[in-house]
Amino acid sequence: MVPDRAVMASERDVALDIRIQGVSKSFGSVAALAGVSLTIRPGEFVAIIGPSGCGKTTLLKIVAGLVAPDAGTVAIGGTRVTGPGPDRAVVFQDFALMPWATVLRNVAFGLELRGVGRRQREEVARRIIARVGLAGFEHHYPHQLSGGMQQRVGVARALAVNPKVLLMDEPFASVDEQTRRLLQDDLLDLWAEERKTIVLVTHSMDEAVYLSDRVVVLSPRPARVVGEIQVDLPRPRSSKTTRTSAAFAGLVEDLWGMLKEMQ
Amino acid sequence: MRPVPAGPEGHMEAVPVLGALSALVVASEVLGRLGLSLFLPAFSSVAAVWWQVLVTGPLLPALLKSLESYVKGMVPAVAAGVVAGLLLGRYRWLGEVFDPFLNMMMSAPLAGFIPILMAIFGISDTVVVLTVFLFSFFIILVNTRTGLQGTPRSLVEMARSLGATDVQILTRIYFFAALPAMMVGVRLGAVNGVKGLVVGEMLIALVGMGELLIRYGNTFLINHLYAVILTILGLALTVSLAIQALDRLAIRWK
Repeated sequence: MVPDRAVMASERDVALDIRIQGVSKSFGSVAALAGVSLTIRPGEFVAIIGPSGCGKTTLLKIVAGLVAPDAGTVAIGGTRVTGPGPDRAVVFQDFALMPWATVLRNVAFGLELRGVGRRQREEVARRIIARVGLAGFEHHYPHQLSGGMQQRVGVARALAVNPKVLLMDEPFASVDEQTRRLLQDDLLDLWAEERKTIVLVTHSMDEAVYLSDRVVVLSPRPARVVGEIQVDLPRPRSSKTTRTSAAFAGLVEDLWGMLKEMQ
Repeated sequence: MRPVPAGPEGHMEAVPVLGALSALVVASEVLGRLGLSLFLPAFSSVAAVWWQVLVTGPLLPALLKSLESYVKGMVPAVAAGVVAGLLLGRYRWLGEVFDPFLNMMMSAPLAGFIPILMAIFGISDTVVVLTVFLFSFFIILVNTRTGLQGTPRSLVEMARSLGATDVQILTRIYFFAALPAMMVGVRLGAVNGVKGLVVGEMLIALVGMGELLIRYGNTFLINHLYAVILTILGLALTVSLAIQALDRLAIRWK
């Protein structure tokens, strides 16, 4: 881990900003996004929250380059997004693991697609698998792992390509509460070390406040940015200190106040 | 190395199959010995004749001839069926263009095309090979395509988000996602290919086991006839079991 960090340091330290300007998107007659504008600073951890079905995921996919907007632009580090790119990696809600591939191959998949040799990509994958706490499971298949472990594989796969922006689509929504808390803490550790720009789509107010620097609130469909909350809770955060603080409870309550108005 | 537990499925499948087969053998033996009909011979007499025709008679050369046509028809059917199924599943417009034709070929009695093939290729092995192909190709194609269309969308998005090209998505995501259904198609197609083999050979009436069926049928050599039929059934069963074994080998992740 150590020698390679020095190599990656120069790249890694230049986290990238994200500029979303006037992005609209319709699917047939259904308008999902209506002029969403949002600027995310380099290295910032932003949570996006909104009523279910409001188009949060669509917005994330547009930033990922998986969906083209009907209008508006997204720029990452000043470069306009026209498709997926090596500067971004996505963590999917349903994990999106290839059931026919081992943990090792799943994690190395991004490097495999880029033509990195087997030895080299597996070396990187093994290191990152250990990093997310799955050492020893390299040759397991996804169905042999619990949901929480599967999403660790999903996170490892995203990290393996060393992206500057991590896009997370309700990553912990389909795991149980205990596992979710463990994964959240691991994500905080990871972000503290790597300082990637993270965009997290979530429907959990607790999760949004606990993890992020800023929570952006979207309106019901068609989504627009209707407000945001600065989360100035001290870091490093932990359940014990952060979740028990009055400030944390106050921020969650503020968020609920904004969301309640839209119900 | 790989901690995949070996399941007991293999043994559990063999028991009912063997049970059913032995029940059939016993029933045939009892009915045959009752002498009810010329067309219900005892299994033991059929088995004796089978051995005799296989070792000294025309069955082994016929079987080999049939196998040759079968392999010549099946190998291209699998290759073409898989490729066409992947492409038609992947590119929706292609699928739509070919859908009417496919529906027709799936429901048409394919044996009806054999006279046309005979008119084109004459009375030759080529007709048998093409019949085998036709009887299996469409089944493999349709199953492959159905399998591909069941690919989870997020897997495709995952690959795209990591920069996969269209070809990489086809060969590394769609292909494997379609593989289980594809293997079902190959098994069904291979068994139907045996059907095509026999139908083709019988209509030409000059080669392989089809020729023996016609010859023994016309001369009322019932034991001989059953010996050939059993050989064909054995071939179909062997093919089916072999592909099932291949299937388990290929799809270890389930």
